[in-house]
Amino acid sequence: MTKAIPKIGSRKKVHIGLRRNARFSLWKSARRITKGVIHVQASFNNTIITVTDPQGRVVFWSSAGTCGFKSSRKASPYAGQRTAVDAIRTVGLQRAEVMVKGAGSGRDAALRAIAKSGVRLSCIRDVTPMPHNGCRPPKKRCL
Amino acid sequence: CWILNTPIPFPLPHSDGRRPHHGAKSPTTAKPARMFPCRPLVSPPLPRALAAAAPVSVRRLPWASTSLRVVRCMAKERRVRMVAKQIQRELADMLTRDPVMQRAVLPEAALGADRYLSSLTTIADVELSNDLQVCKVYVSVFGDERGKKVAMAGLKDKTKYVRSQIGKRMKLRLTPEIRFIEDESMERGSRILTILDKLKEEREQREGNGEEEDGEASDIAEEEDGDWEGDEPDEEDIIYVK
Repeated sequence: MTKAIPKIGSRKKVHIGLRRNARFSLWKSARRITKGVIHVQASFNNTIITVTDPQGRVVFWSSAGTCGFKSSRKASPYAGQRTAVDAIRTVGLQRAEVMVKGAGSGRDAALRAIAKSGVRLSCIRDVTPMPHNGCRPPKKRCL
Repeated sequence: CWILNTPIPFPLPHSDGRRPHHGAKSPTTAKPARMFPCRPLVSPPLPRALAAAAPVSVRRLPWASTSLRVVRCMAKERRVRMVAKQIQRELADMLTRDPVMQRAVLPEAALGADRYLSSLTTIADVELSNDLQVCKVYVSVFGDERGKKVAMAGLKDKTKYVRSQIGKRMKLRLTPEIRFIEDESMERGSRILTILDKLKEEREQREGNGEEEDGEASDIAEEEDGDWEGDEPDEEDIIYVK
């Protein structure tokens, strides 16, 4: 969810790319930023990596599905690793802060890939949504 | 299946349930080549010609099963996989939500420093034995040496607690015994990948210089490839994309 920040400069190209949701135009028009925040959402079935600027505006996103994996292989650690590599290579970050959400197996692999790719990690935060006992969780799965 | 011509050391009961009479000779001396169909004793005796012709479904002879082997109940493969996956989910959920587990893995959480992490623990894989009694949990810790040691020690400390929690959350007849194992496959994989990348770079550099170094580089690459065989199935995906 992007915050309501007044837009500076012309970003029409990026917006059109996101609206059409075509990967190619996203790639071409993805801004290159040096400092940003990497959000890693690692669910049990997929890993989604979103790169934003420090204010939270999305620059680029990538997921295991867009990297060519399908069905159960999206959840594997290797998929998380490939996704992270893909995201960083497109954006070309130098310094980043990582926010991790969820507890899937792609989480660790993505972190390692980010650390290995030369991006300086300033800090790792865990932002898994935690209710202070709010909504009723779904019922238990019985096997 | 057919038991063909096996010399059976003791006299067999007749197919209609009668035990052989006291003076019965063993089949090897009594009659020449005989086909013994594998079927339970209760079925009506077929004439030998028909029995030889018709293939019978695989079933063990009852007298053989009780005397020769111990019957053990094994769960089906699919169920084992499903239970393992569910245990992985429950453990991951416990690591994120349960304060006891969080404090075991990351002692700083008790002081309040839980948002800026020094180490991150993930359940990489769960392997369950076929009889659902032993569960090996591969834990991967991201962080420095000290963080790893602290996390693994904390988890091993809480093994009984984890087992009781899993028993409460999942409906299983017998909760498996849980063993936490440090998962090194990630580091091994990333190390080997860095080596391979370095070799590729070197090879690309040397391609400009000469042909002779190529053989050397490819030999080293083959040695590294040999290391792959011992890795977990997860890492195989790096080379062989299914």
